Amino acid sequence: MIRLNDTLEVPQSVNDPYGFSEPYWRASRERRLLLQFCKESQQFQFYPRPMSIATGRQTLEWREVDGRGEIYTYSVTHRGFGPFEGHEPYAVVIVRLDAGVDILSNLVHCEPADLRVGLRVKPFWKPLADGRHLLLFAPDESSGDASL
Amino acid sequence: MGLRDAVIAGYAETKITQRSGSDPYALAGDIVNSLLVRTGFEKAEVDGLIMSPSLTAARTTFWAQCVAEFLGLELTYCDTTDLGGCSPAAGVARAAAALDSGMCSTILLINADTPTTEYNFANYSFHEEWADPYGLKGPPGSFGLLSRRYEHQYGLDYCALGKLAVTQRTHALLNPNACEKLRTPITMDDYLNSRMISEPIRLLDCVMPADGANGLLITRREIAVERGLDRYIVPIGYGEMTNLGGAHSLVDITRTGHRSAGERAFAQAGLRPSDIKSFHPYDDFIIAIMLQLEMLGFCEPGQGCKYVKETNFNYDGDLPLNTGGGQISAGQAGFAGGGTNLIEAVRQLFGEGGARQVKSTDNALVTGIGWIPYARNWGSSVALILAPEAGGR
Repeated sequence: MIRLNDTLEVPQSVNDPYGFSEPYWRASRERRLLLQFCKESQQFQFYPRPMSIATGRQTLEWREVDGRGEIYTYSVTHRGFGPFEGHEPYAVVIVRLDAGVDILSNLVHCEPADLRVGLRVKPFWKPLADGRHLLLFAPDESSGDASL
Repeated sequence: MGLRDAVIAGYAETKITQRSGSDPYALAGDIVNSLLVRTGFEKAEVDGLIMSPSLTAARTTFWAQCVAEFLGLELTYCDTTDLGGCSPAAGVARAAAALDSGMCSTILLINADTPTTEYNFANYSFHEEWADPYGLKGPPGSFGLLSRRYEHQYGLDYCALGKLAVTQRTHALLNPNACEKLRTPITMDDYLNSRMISEPIRLLDCVMPADGANGLLITRREIAVERGLDRYIVPIGYGEMTNLGGAHSLVDITRTGHRSAGERAFAQAGLRPSDIKSFHPYDDFIIAIMLQLEMLGFCEPGQGCKYVKETNFNYDGDLPLNTGGGQISAGQAGFAGGGTNLIEAVRQLFGEGGARQVKSTDNALVTGIGWIPYARNWGSSVALILAPEAGGR
Protein backbone atom coordinates (compact mmCIF):
# COMPACT_ATOMS: atom_id res chain seq x y z
CA MET A 1 0.00 0.00 0.00
CA ILE A 2 1.26 3.46 -0.83
CA ARG A 3 1.76 6.00 1.94
CA LEU A 4 0.24 9.43 1.70
CA ASN A 5 2.67 12.31 1.94
CA ASP A 6 1.70 14.73 4.70
CA THR A 7 3.05 17.66 2.66
CA LEU A 8 4.51 19.15 5.86
CA GLU A 9 7.87 19.45 4.10
CA VAL A 10 6.45 21.40 1.16
CA PRO A 11 7.98 24.90 1.30
CA GLN A 12 5.04 27.26 1.37
CA SER A 13 4.18 30.88 1.74
CA VAL A 14 0.67 32.22 1.38
CA ASN A 15 -0.27 35.48 -0.26
CA ASP A 16 -3.37 37.16 1.16
CA PRO A 17 -4.07 39.91 -1.33
CA TYR A 18 -7.52 40.91 -0.05
CA GLY A 19 -7.84 42.91 3.15
CA PHE A 20 -11.11 41.33 4.23
CA SER A 21 -9.40 38.04 5.15
CA GLU A 22 -6.92 39.70 7.52
CA PRO A 23 -8.75 38.67 10.78
CA TYR A 24 -8.58 35.02 9.67
CA TRP A 25 -4.82 35.15 9.19
CA ARG A 26 -4.23 37.14 12.37
CA ALA A 27 -6.09 34.48 14.40
CA SER A 28 -4.10 31.74 12.66
CA ARG A 29 -1.01 33.04 14.48
CA GLU A 30 -2.63 31.68 17.66
CA ARG A 31 -3.93 28.57 15.91
CA ARG A 32 -7.48 29.86 16.28
CA LEU A 33 -10.01 29.39 13.49
CA LEU A 34 -12.15 32.46 12.86
CA LEU A 35 -14.97 32.37 10.31
CA GLN A 36 -17.25 35.07 9.02
CA PHE A 37 -20.80 34.68 10.38
CA CYS A 38 -23.83 36.44 8.91
CA LYS A 39 -25.96 37.68 11.79
CA GLU A 40 -29.07 37.97 9.62
CA SER A 41 -29.02 34.61 7.82
CA GLN A 42 -27.27 32.82 10.74
CA GLN A 43 -24.88 31.29 8.19
CA PHE A 44 -21.12 30.91 8.44
CA GLN A 45 -19.26 31.46 5.19
CA PHE A 46 -15.84 30.49 3.87
CA TYR A 47 -13.56 31.72 2.34
CA PRO A 48 -13.76 35.32 3.64
CA ARG A 49 -15.77 37.70 1.46
CA PRO A 50 -16.27 41.46 1.38
CA MET A 51 -19.95 40.99 2.38
CA SER A 52 -22.46 38.34 3.35
CA ILE A 53 -23.11 35.98 0.46
CA ALA A 54 -26.64 35.57 1.83
CA THR A 55 -27.75 39.18 2.25
CA GLY A 56 -25.40 41.14 0.02
CA ARG A 57 -24.79 43.47 2.94
CA GLN A 58 -22.09 43.70 5.59
CA THR A 59 -24.14 41.81 8.17
CA LEU A 60 -21.02 39.93 9.25
CA GLU A 61 -19.04 39.30 12.39
CA TRP A 62 -16.06 37.01 13.05
CA ARG A 63 -16.70 34.00 15.28
CA GLU A 64 -14.33 31.34 16.51
CA VAL A 65 -15.18 27.69 15.79
CA ASP A 66 -13.46 24.46 16.85
CA GLY A 67 -12.96 23.41 13.25
CA ARG A 68 -14.16 19.83 13.60
CA GLY A 69 -15.98 18.23 10.74
CA GLU A 70 -15.88 15.38 8.27
CA ILE A 71 -14.42 14.62 4.88
CA TYR A 72 -17.00 15.65 2.25
CA THR A 73 -14.80 14.42 -0.58
CA TYR A 74 -11.13 13.82 -1.33
CA SER A 75 -8.69 13.23 -4.18
CA VAL A 76 -5.27 11.64 -3.97
CA THR A 77 -3.03 13.73 -6.19
CA HIS A 78 -0.37 11.93 -8.21
CA ARG A 79 0.81 14.87 -10.29
CA GLY A 80 1.75 17.66 -7.93
CA PHE A 81 1.39 21.34 -8.57
CA GLY A 82 4.11 23.98 -8.04
CA PRO A 83 6.05 23.32 -4.81
CA PHE A 84 4.09 20.08 -4.38
CA GLU A 85 5.97 18.44 -7.26
CA GLY A 86 7.96 15.54 -5.84
CA HIS A 87 5.74 15.27 -2.76
CA GLU A 88 3.11 12.98 -4.35
CA PRO A 89 0.91 11.25 -3.53
CA TYR A 90 -0.94 13.59 -1.20
CA ALA A 91 -4.58 13.99 -0.21
CA VAL A 92 -6.54 17.09 -1.18
CA VAL A 93 -9.82 17.14 0.71
CA ILE A 94 -12.96 19.19 1.12
CA VAL A 95 -13.87 19.20 4.82
CA ARG A 96 -17.48 19.94 5.71
CA LEU A 97 -17.19 21.69 9.06
CA ASP A 98 -19.84 21.11 11.70
CA ALA A 99 -20.26 24.89 11.61
CA GLY A 100 -21.62 24.57 8.07
CA VAL A 101 -18.90 25.54 5.62
CA ASP A 102 -16.79 23.58 3.15
CA ILE A 103 -13.01 24.08 3.36
CA LEU A 104 -10.46 22.90 0.81
CA SER A 105 -7.34 21.57 2.49
CA ASN A 106 -4.87 18.69 2.88
CA LEU A 107 -5.26 15.70 5.17
CA VAL A 108 -2.23 14.69 7.27
CA HIS A 109 -1.41 11.79 9.57
CA CYS A 110 -3.85 9.50 7.79
CA GLU A 111 -3.24 5.99 6.50
CA PRO A 112 -4.57 5.50 2.97
CA ALA A 113 -6.84 2.69 4.20
CA ASP A 114 -8.56 5.11 6.59
CA LEU A 115 -9.18 7.80 3.99
CA ARG A 116 -12.87 7.89 3.17
CA VAL A 117 -15.83 10.22 2.76
CA GLY A 118 -17.35 10.81 6.20
CA LEU A 119 -14.07 10.47 8.16
CA ARG A 120 -14.17 12.76 11.23
CA VAL A 121 -11.34 15.30 11.22
CA LYS A 122 -9.98 18.15 13.32
CA PRO A 123 -7.68 21.09 12.52
CA PHE A 124 -3.93 20.61 12.24
CA TRP A 125 -2.09 23.94 12.01
CA LYS A 126 1.07 23.92 9.91
CA PRO A 127 3.44 26.77 10.87
CA LEU A 128 4.38 29.21 8.11
CA ALA A 129 7.69 31.08 8.19
CA ASP A 130 6.02 34.41 9.01
CA GLY A 131 4.26 33.19 12.19
CA ARG A 132 0.90 32.55 10.59
CA HIS A 133 -0.41 28.98 10.27
CA LEU A 134 -1.91 27.05 7.40
CA LEU A 135 -5.11 25.16 8.25
CA LEU A 136 -4.74 21.45 7.51
CA PHE A 137 -6.79 18.59 8.93
CA ALA A 138 -5.98 15.29 10.65
CA PRO A 139 -8.16 12.34 11.69
CA ASP A 140 -10.06 13.09 14.91
CA GLU A 141 -9.31 10.19 17.25
CA SER A 142 -11.63 11.64 19.89
CA SER A 143 -14.62 11.17 17.61
CA GLY A 144 -15.02 7.47 18.46
CA ASP A 145 -14.76 6.70 14.77
CA ALA A 146 -14.66 2.91 14.63
CA SER A 147 -12.29 2.88 11.69
CA LEU A 148 -9.45 4.53 13.61
CA MET B 1 -38.81 35.98 -30.32
CA GLY B 2 -35.42 37.64 -30.53
CA LEU B 3 -33.38 34.47 -30.32
CA ARG B 4 -34.90 32.90 -33.43
CA ASP B 5 -34.45 36.03 -35.52
CA ALA B 6 -30.70 35.42 -35.48
CA VAL B 7 -29.32 32.90 -37.95
CA ILE B 8 -25.94 31.25 -38.35
CA ALA B 9 -25.05 31.71 -41.99
CA GLY B 10 -21.73 29.89 -41.91
CA TYR B 11 -19.03 28.34 -39.80
CA ALA B 12 -15.26 27.97 -39.99
CA GLU B 13 -12.69 25.92 -38.12
CA THR B 14 -8.94 25.40 -38.26
CA LYS B 15 -7.25 22.12 -37.67
CA ILE B 16 -6.34 21.67 -34.00
CA THR B 17 -2.59 21.35 -33.42
CA GLN B 18 -0.11 21.48 -30.57
CA ARG B 19 2.60 24.16 -30.47
CA SER B 20 1.44 25.59 -33.79
CA GLY B 21 3.83 28.54 -33.56
CA SER B 22 0.87 30.68 -34.60
CA ASP B 23 -1.06 33.27 -32.60
CA PRO B 24 -4.73 34.20 -32.03
CA TYR B 25 -4.66 37.13 -34.48
CA ALA B 26 -3.37 34.99 -37.32
CA LEU B 27 -5.89 32.26 -36.62
CA ALA B 28 -8.71 34.81 -36.26
CA GLY B 29 -7.70 36.16 -39.67
CA ASP B 30 -7.94 32.66 -41.15
CA ILE B 31 -11.40 32.24 -39.63
CA VAL B 32 -12.71 35.58 -40.93
CA ASN B 33 -11.37 34.81 -44.40
CA SER B 34 -13.09 31.42 -44.39
CA LEU B 35 -16.38 32.83 -43.10
CA LEU B 36 -16.51 35.56 -45.74
CA VAL B 37 -15.58 33.18 -48.56
CA ARG B 38 -18.16 30.67 -47.47
CA THR B 39 -21.07 33.02 -46.88
CA GLY B 40 -20.40 35.56 -49.62
CA PHE B 41 -20.67 38.44 -47.15
CA GLU B 42 -18.37 41.41 -47.65
CA LYS B 43 -16.22 42.56 -44.75
CA ALA B 44 -17.92 45.96 -44.92
CA GLU B 45 -21.23 44.29 -44.08
CA VAL B 46 -19.87 43.07 -40.75
CA ASP B 47 -20.69 45.51 -37.95
CA GLY B 48 -20.49 43.25 -34.90
CA LEU B 49 -17.70 41.23 -33.27
CA ILE B 50 -17.95 38.86 -30.33
CA MET B 51 -14.73 37.25 -29.10
CA SER B 52 -14.18 34.43 -26.67
CA PRO B 53 -11.32 35.13 -24.27
CA SER B 54 -7.86 33.81 -25.04
CA LEU B 55 -5.26 32.30 -22.74
CA THR B 56 -2.57 33.56 -25.07
CA ALA B 57 -4.04 37.07 -25.19
CA ALA B 58 -4.80 37.13 -21.46
CA ARG B 59 -2.36 39.98 -20.88
CA THR B 60 -4.44 42.45 -22.86
CA THR B 61 -7.64 43.92 -21.47
CA PHE B 62 -8.47 45.33 -24.89
CA TRP B 63 -8.88 41.96 -26.58
CA ALA B 64 -11.91 42.38 -28.83
CA GLN B 65 -10.84 45.92 -29.76
CA CYS B 66 -7.36 44.69 -30.71
CA VAL B 67 -8.83 41.99 -32.92
CA ALA B 68 -11.05 44.59 -34.59
CA GLU B 69 -7.99 46.72 -35.33
CA PHE B 70 -5.80 43.86 -36.54
CA LEU B 71 -8.56 42.69 -38.88
CA GLY B 72 -9.66 46.16 -40.00
CA LEU B 73 -13.24 45.80 -38.78
CA GLU B 74 -15.41 48.89 -38.21
CA LEU B 75 -18.02 47.95 -35.64
CA THR B 76 -21.16 49.20 -33.95
CA TYR B 77 -20.99 46.30 -31.49
CA CYS B 78 -17.76 44.81 -30.07
CA ASP B 79 -17.46 42.58 -27.03
CA THR B 80 -15.75 39.64 -25.33
CA THR B 81 -17.90 36.99 -23.68
CA ASP B 82 -16.21 36.42 -20.34
CA LEU B 83 -17.54 32.97 -19.43
CA GLY B 84 -14.49 30.79 -19.93
CA GLY B 85 -15.35 27.59 -21.79
CA CYS B 86 -19.00 28.68 -22.06
CA SER B 87 -18.05 31.71 -24.11
CA PRO B 88 -18.51 30.32 -27.66
CA ALA B 89 -22.01 28.90 -27.03
CA ALA B 90 -22.97 31.87 -24.84
CA GLY B 91 -21.69 34.13 -27.62
CA VAL B 92 -24.42 32.85 -29.94
CA ALA B 93 -27.10 34.01 -27.49
CA ARG B 94 -25.33 37.33 -27.00
CA ALA B 95 -25.15 37.75 -30.76
CA ALA B 96 -28.90 37.17 -30.99
CA ALA B 97 -29.51 39.75 -28.25
CA ALA B 98 -27.28 42.30 -29.96
CA LEU B 99 -29.01 41.74 -33.32
CA ASP B 100 -32.45 41.89 -31.73
CA SER B 101 -31.70 45.16 -29.97
CA GLY B 102 -30.59 46.75 -33.22
CA MET B 103 -27.01 47.37 -32.11
CA CYS B 104 -25.69 45.65 -35.24
CA SER B 105 -26.82 43.50 -38.14
CA THR B 106 -24.07 40.97 -38.94
CA ILE B 107 -21.70 39.54 -36.37
CA LEU B 108 -18.47 37.57 -36.44
CA LEU B 109 -18.22 35.26 -33.44
CA ILE B 110 -14.56 34.30 -33.19
CA ASN B 111 -12.82 31.86 -30.86
CA ALA B 112 -9.04 31.73 -31.33
CA ASP B 113 -6.40 30.61 -28.86
CA THR B 114 -2.84 29.24 -28.94
CA PRO B 115 -2.02 28.34 -25.31
CA THR B 116 0.46 25.61 -26.28
CA THR B 117 2.49 28.21 -28.15
CA GLU B 118 2.17 31.05 -25.63
CA TYR B 119 0.36 30.82 -22.28
CA ASN B 120 -0.33 34.00 -20.33
CA PHE B 121 -3.20 33.11 -18.04
CA ALA B 122 -3.09 34.34 -14.42
CA ASN B 123 -5.70 33.97 -11.70
CA TYR B 124 -6.96 37.03 -9.85
CA SER B 125 -9.24 35.10 -7.58
CA PHE B 126 -9.33 32.88 -4.48
CA HIS B 127 -6.66 30.53 -5.81
CA GLU B 128 -3.51 32.14 -4.44
CA GLU B 129 -4.89 32.34 -0.93
CA TRP B 130 -7.23 29.35 -0.58
CA ALA B 131 -6.40 26.68 -3.17
CA ASP B 132 -2.76 26.88 -4.30
CA PRO B 133 -1.41 26.41 -0.73
CA TYR B 134 -3.01 22.96 -0.75
CA GLY B 135 -1.56 21.76 -4.04
CA LEU B 136 -4.93 21.52 -5.74
CA LYS B 137 -4.00 20.36 -9.22
CA GLY B 138 -6.14 22.78 -11.23
CA PRO B 139 -9.18 21.38 -13.02
CA PRO B 140 -8.10 17.69 -12.70
CA GLY B 141 -7.89 18.17 -8.92
CA SER B 142 -11.32 19.74 -8.76
CA PHE B 143 -12.84 17.05 -10.94
CA GLY B 144 -11.16 14.41 -8.75
CA LEU B 145 -12.98 15.88 -5.74
CA LEU B 146 -16.25 16.07 -7.66
CA SER B 147 -15.93 12.50 -8.96
CA ARG B 148 -15.19 11.01 -5.54
CA ARG B 149 -18.24 12.67 -4.01
CA TYR B 150 -20.41 11.48 -6.90
CA GLU B 151 -19.09 7.97 -6.35
CA HIS B 152 -19.95 8.20 -2.65
CA GLN B 153 -23.52 9.34 -3.32
CA TYR B 154 -24.42 7.22 -6.33
CA GLY B 155 -21.63 4.79 -7.19
CA LEU B 156 -19.47 5.25 -10.26
CA ASP B 157 -18.98 2.66 -12.99
CA TYR B 158 -15.67 3.46 -14.66
CA CYS B 159 -16.59 1.28 -17.62
CA ALA B 160 -19.44 3.70 -18.36
CA LEU B 161 -17.00 6.60 -18.38
CA GLY B 162 -14.62 4.53 -20.49
CA LYS B 163 -17.38 3.93 -23.01
CA LEU B 164 -17.77 7.69 -23.48
CA ALA B 165 -14.00 8.10 -23.89
CA VAL B 166 -13.78 5.32 -26.48
CA THR B 167 -16.81 6.60 -28.42
CA GLN B 168 -15.40 10.12 -28.66
CA ARG B 169 -12.00 8.79 -29.75
CA THR B 170 -13.69 6.77 -32.49
CA HIS B 171 -15.30 9.98 -33.71
CA ALA B 172 -11.99 11.85 -33.69
CA LEU B 173 -10.62 9.26 -36.13
CA LEU B 174 -13.28 10.49 -38.58
CA ASN B 175 -12.51 14.19 -37.99
CA PRO B 176 -9.64 15.54 -40.10
CA ASN B 177 -9.55 18.71 -37.95
CA ALA B 178 -8.86 16.76 -34.76
CA CYS B 179 -5.32 16.94 -33.38
CA GLU B 180 -3.27 14.22 -35.08
CA LYS B 181 -1.71 13.12 -31.81
CA LEU B 182 -5.16 12.00 -30.66
CA ARG B 183 -6.24 10.31 -33.89
CA THR B 184 -5.28 6.84 -32.73
CA PRO B 185 -7.84 4.34 -31.42
CA ILE B 186 -8.15 3.63 -27.70
CA THR B 187 -9.74 0.65 -25.96
CA MET B 188 -11.59 0.32 -22.66
CA ASP B 189 -8.41 -1.14 -21.15
CA ASP B 190 -6.41 1.85 -22.36
CA TYR B 191 -8.88 4.10 -20.54
CA LEU B 192 -8.99 2.07 -17.32
CA ASN B 193 -5.20 1.64 -17.22
CA SER B 194 -4.27 5.23 -18.04
CA ARG B 195 -2.29 6.75 -15.19
CA MET B 196 -3.97 8.52 -12.30
CA ILE B 197 -3.63 12.31 -12.18
CA SER B 198 -5.92 13.20 -9.27
CA GLU B 199 -7.84 10.08 -8.23
CA PRO B 200 -10.17 9.02 -9.64
CA ILE B 201 -9.34 11.26 -12.63
CA ARG B 202 -7.16 9.40 -15.10
CA LEU B 203 -5.12 10.80 -17.96
CA LEU B 204 -7.75 9.71 -20.50
CA ASP B 205 -10.45 11.59 -18.57
CA CYS B 206 -8.69 14.86 -19.33
CA VAL B 207 -8.48 17.25 -22.25
CA MET B 208 -5.12 17.84 -23.87
CA PRO B 209 -4.24 21.51 -24.46
CA ALA B 210 -3.76 22.60 -28.07
CA ASP B 211 -3.98 25.57 -30.45
CA GLY B 212 -6.85 26.29 -32.78
CA ALA B 213 -9.65 28.59 -33.84
CA ASN B 214 -13.22 28.53 -35.05
CA GLY B 215 -16.06 30.93 -35.65
CA LEU B 216 -19.51 31.69 -36.93
CA LEU B 217 -21.08 34.40 -39.04
CA ILE B 218 -24.40 35.34 -37.46
CA THR B 219 -26.86 37.69 -39.09
CA ARG B 220 -30.52 38.67 -39.05
CA ARG B 221 -33.01 36.30 -40.60
CA GLU B 222 -34.27 38.91 -43.07
CA ILE B 223 -30.74 39.51 -44.30
CA ALA B 224 -30.17 35.78 -44.82
CA VAL B 225 -33.47 35.50 -46.68
CA GLU B 226 -32.75 38.58 -48.79
CA ARG B 227 -29.40 37.12 -49.82
CA GLY B 228 -31.05 33.87 -50.82
CA LEU B 229 -29.03 31.63 -48.48
CA ASP B 230 -30.40 28.13 -49.00
CA ARG B 231 -29.82 26.89 -45.46
CA TYR B 232 -28.95 28.45 -42.15
CA ILE B 233 -28.93 27.39 -38.52
CA VAL B 234 -31.19 29.00 -35.93
CA PRO B 235 -30.79 29.14 -32.15
CA ILE B 236 -34.18 27.99 -30.83
CA GLY B 237 -33.49 27.62 -27.11
CA TYR B 238 -30.93 28.94 -24.65
CA GLY B 239 -30.30 28.89 -20.92
CA GLU B 240 -27.42 30.04 -18.77
CA MET B 241 -26.48 29.76 -15.09
CA THR B 242 -23.49 31.20 -13.26
CA ASN B 243 -22.60 30.46 -9.62
CA LEU B 244 -25.44 28.08 -8.83
CA GLY B 245 -26.32 28.29 -5.13
CA GLY B 246 -24.02 31.26 -4.73
CA ALA B 247 -25.80 32.56 -1.63
CA HIS B 248 -25.36 29.29 0.26
CA SER B 249 -22.34 27.99 2.13
CA LEU B 250 -23.21 24.32 1.58
CA VAL B 251 -24.20 22.93 -1.81
CA ASP B 252 -24.30 19.48 -3.40
CA ILE B 253 -21.16 19.36 -5.55
CA THR B 254 -22.78 16.88 -7.94
CA ARG B 255 -25.50 19.37 -9.01
CA THR B 256 -24.70 21.69 -11.88
CA GLY B 257 -26.27 24.78 -13.41
CA HIS B 258 -27.26 22.72 -16.44
CA ARG B 259 -30.48 21.68 -14.66
CA SER B 260 -31.81 25.23 -14.69
CA ALA B 261 -30.12 26.26 -17.95
CA GLY B 262 -31.41 23.15 -19.70
CA GLU B 263 -34.98 23.59 -18.48
CA ARG B 264 -35.09 27.09 -19.91
CA ALA B 265 -33.48 26.05 -23.19
CA PHE B 266 -35.88 23.14 -23.69
CA ALA B 267 -38.94 25.24 -22.76
CA GLN B 268 -37.93 27.95 -25.22
CA ALA B 269 -37.34 25.39 -27.96
CA GLY B 270 -40.54 23.50 -27.20
CA LEU B 271 -38.55 20.26 -27.01
CA ARG B 272 -37.76 17.55 -24.48
CA PRO B 273 -34.45 15.72 -24.03
CA SER B 274 -35.85 12.72 -25.90
CA ASP B 275 -36.36 14.96 -28.95
CA ILE B 276 -32.65 15.81 -29.24
CA LYS B 277 -31.02 14.35 -32.36
CA SER B 278 -27.37 14.94 -31.53
CA PHE B 279 -25.63 16.05 -28.33
CA HIS B 280 -22.46 18.17 -28.29
CA PRO B 281 -21.65 18.73 -24.61
CA TYR B 282 -18.64 20.68 -23.41
CA ASP B 283 -16.16 18.00 -22.38
CA ASP B 284 -13.21 19.05 -20.27
CA PHE B 285 -13.46 15.77 -18.35
CA ILE B 286 -15.35 12.61 -19.25
CA ILE B 287 -17.50 12.70 -16.12
CA ALA B 288 -18.73 16.17 -17.10
CA ILE B 289 -20.55 14.55 -20.02
CA MET B 290 -22.34 12.15 -17.71
CA LEU B 291 -23.26 14.85 -15.21
CA GLN B 292 -24.72 16.95 -18.00
CA LEU B 293 -26.81 14.01 -19.24
CA GLU B 294 -28.28 13.84 -15.72
CA MET B 295 -28.75 17.57 -15.21
CA LEU B 296 -30.23 18.16 -18.66
CA GLY B 297 -32.84 15.47 -18.01
CA PHE B 298 -31.73 12.65 -20.30
CA CYS B 299 -31.79 10.56 -17.11
CA GLU B 300 -32.23 11.08 -13.37
CA PRO B 301 -29.39 12.20 -11.07
CA GLY B 302 -27.38 9.14 -10.12
CA GLN B 303 -28.55 7.18 -13.16
CA GLY B 304 -25.91 8.50 -15.55
CA CYS B 305 -23.77 5.37 -15.67
CA LYS B 306 -26.78 3.16 -16.34
CA TYR B 307 -28.01 5.52 -19.06
CA VAL B 308 -24.56 5.65 -20.67
CA LYS B 309 -24.28 1.86 -20.77
CA GLU B 310 -27.74 1.54 -22.35
CA THR B 311 -27.28 4.23 -25.01
CA ASN B 312 -25.46 4.10 -28.34
CA PHE B 313 -23.58 7.39 -28.67
CA ASN B 314 -21.98 6.67 -32.03
CA TYR B 315 -22.60 9.18 -34.82
CA ASP B 316 -25.12 6.74 -36.30
CA GLY B 317 -26.53 5.65 -32.93
CA ASP B 318 -29.39 6.67 -30.58
CA LEU B 319 -27.88 9.92 -29.36
CA PRO B 320 -24.84 10.93 -31.41
CA LEU B 321 -22.29 12.43 -28.98
CA ASN B 322 -19.55 14.94 -29.82
CA THR B 323 -19.29 13.52 -33.31
CA GLY B 324 -15.97 15.24 -34.01
CA GLY B 325 -14.37 13.64 -30.95
CA GLY B 326 -15.19 16.45 -28.54
CA GLN B 327 -12.40 18.42 -26.97
CA ILE B 328 -11.07 15.36 -25.16
CA SER B 329 -10.32 13.55 -28.41
CA ALA B 330 -9.86 16.50 -30.78
CA GLY B 331 -7.75 18.64 -28.43
CA GLN B 332 -8.72 21.67 -26.33
CA ALA B 333 -7.78 24.82 -28.18
CA GLY B 334 -7.72 26.93 -25.01
CA PHE B 335 -10.81 29.10 -24.66
CA ALA B 336 -11.63 28.40 -28.31
CA GLY B 337 -12.26 24.83 -27.16
CA GLY B 338 -15.95 25.38 -26.42
CA GLY B 339 -16.25 26.27 -30.08
CA THR B 340 -15.15 22.76 -31.03
CA ASN B 341 -18.41 21.32 -29.69
CA LEU B 342 -20.43 24.23 -31.11
CA ILE B 343 -18.95 24.12 -34.61
CA GLU B 344 -19.43 20.36 -34.85
CA ALA B 345 -23.15 20.77 -34.07
CA VAL B 346 -23.49 23.49 -36.72
CA ARG B 347 -21.54 21.40 -39.24
CA GLN B 348 -23.84 18.44 -38.66
CA LEU B 349 -26.96 20.59 -39.06
CA PHE B 350 -25.63 21.89 -42.37
CA GLY B 351 -25.37 18.21 -43.38
CA GLU B 352 -21.61 18.51 -43.78
CA GLY B 353 -20.54 15.84 -41.28
CA GLY B 354 -18.93 13.74 -44.03
CA ALA B 355 -17.96 10.27 -42.85
CA ARG B 356 -19.51 10.99 -39.47
CA GLN B 357 -22.75 12.63 -40.63
CA VAL B 358 -25.61 12.04 -38.18
CA LYS B 359 -28.87 10.62 -39.49
CA SER B 360 -31.19 13.36 -38.27
CA THR B 361 -30.38 17.04 -38.62
CA ASP B 362 -33.65 18.18 -37.04
CA ASN B 363 -31.82 19.75 -34.12
CA ALA B 364 -28.69 19.61 -31.95
CA LEU B 365 -27.94 20.45 -28.32
CA VAL B 366 -24.68 22.21 -27.47
CA THR B 367 -23.49 23.04 -23.97
CA GLY B 368 -20.78 25.03 -22.26
CA ILE B 369 -18.89 24.76 -18.99
CA GLY B 370 -16.85 27.64 -17.67
CA TRP B 371 -14.51 28.12 -14.72
CA ILE B 372 -14.25 26.17 -11.48
CA PRO B 373 -15.17 27.97 -8.27
CA TYR B 374 -14.00 27.21 -4.70
CA ALA B 375 -14.89 23.68 -3.54
CA ARG B 376 -17.97 23.50 -5.76
CA ASN B 377 -19.13 22.28 -9.11
CA TRP B 378 -18.22 24.30 -12.21
CA GLY B 379 -18.92 28.03 -12.35
CA SER B 380 -21.02 28.60 -15.48
CA SER B 381 -23.32 26.28 -17.41
CA VAL B 382 -25.03 27.01 -20.71
CA ALA B 383 -27.34 25.00 -22.95
CA LEU B 384 -28.02 26.00 -26.57
CA ILE B 385 -30.42 24.21 -28.90
CA LEU B 386 -29.95 24.74 -32.65
CA ALA B 387 -32.13 23.79 -35.61
CA PRO B 388 -31.64 24.24 -39.36
CA GLU B 389 -34.01 26.09 -41.64
CA ALA B 390 -34.24 26.02 -45.39
CA GLY B 391 -33.76 29.54 -46.73
CA GLY B 392 -34.56 30.94 -50.13
CA ARG B 393 -36.73 33.87 -51.03
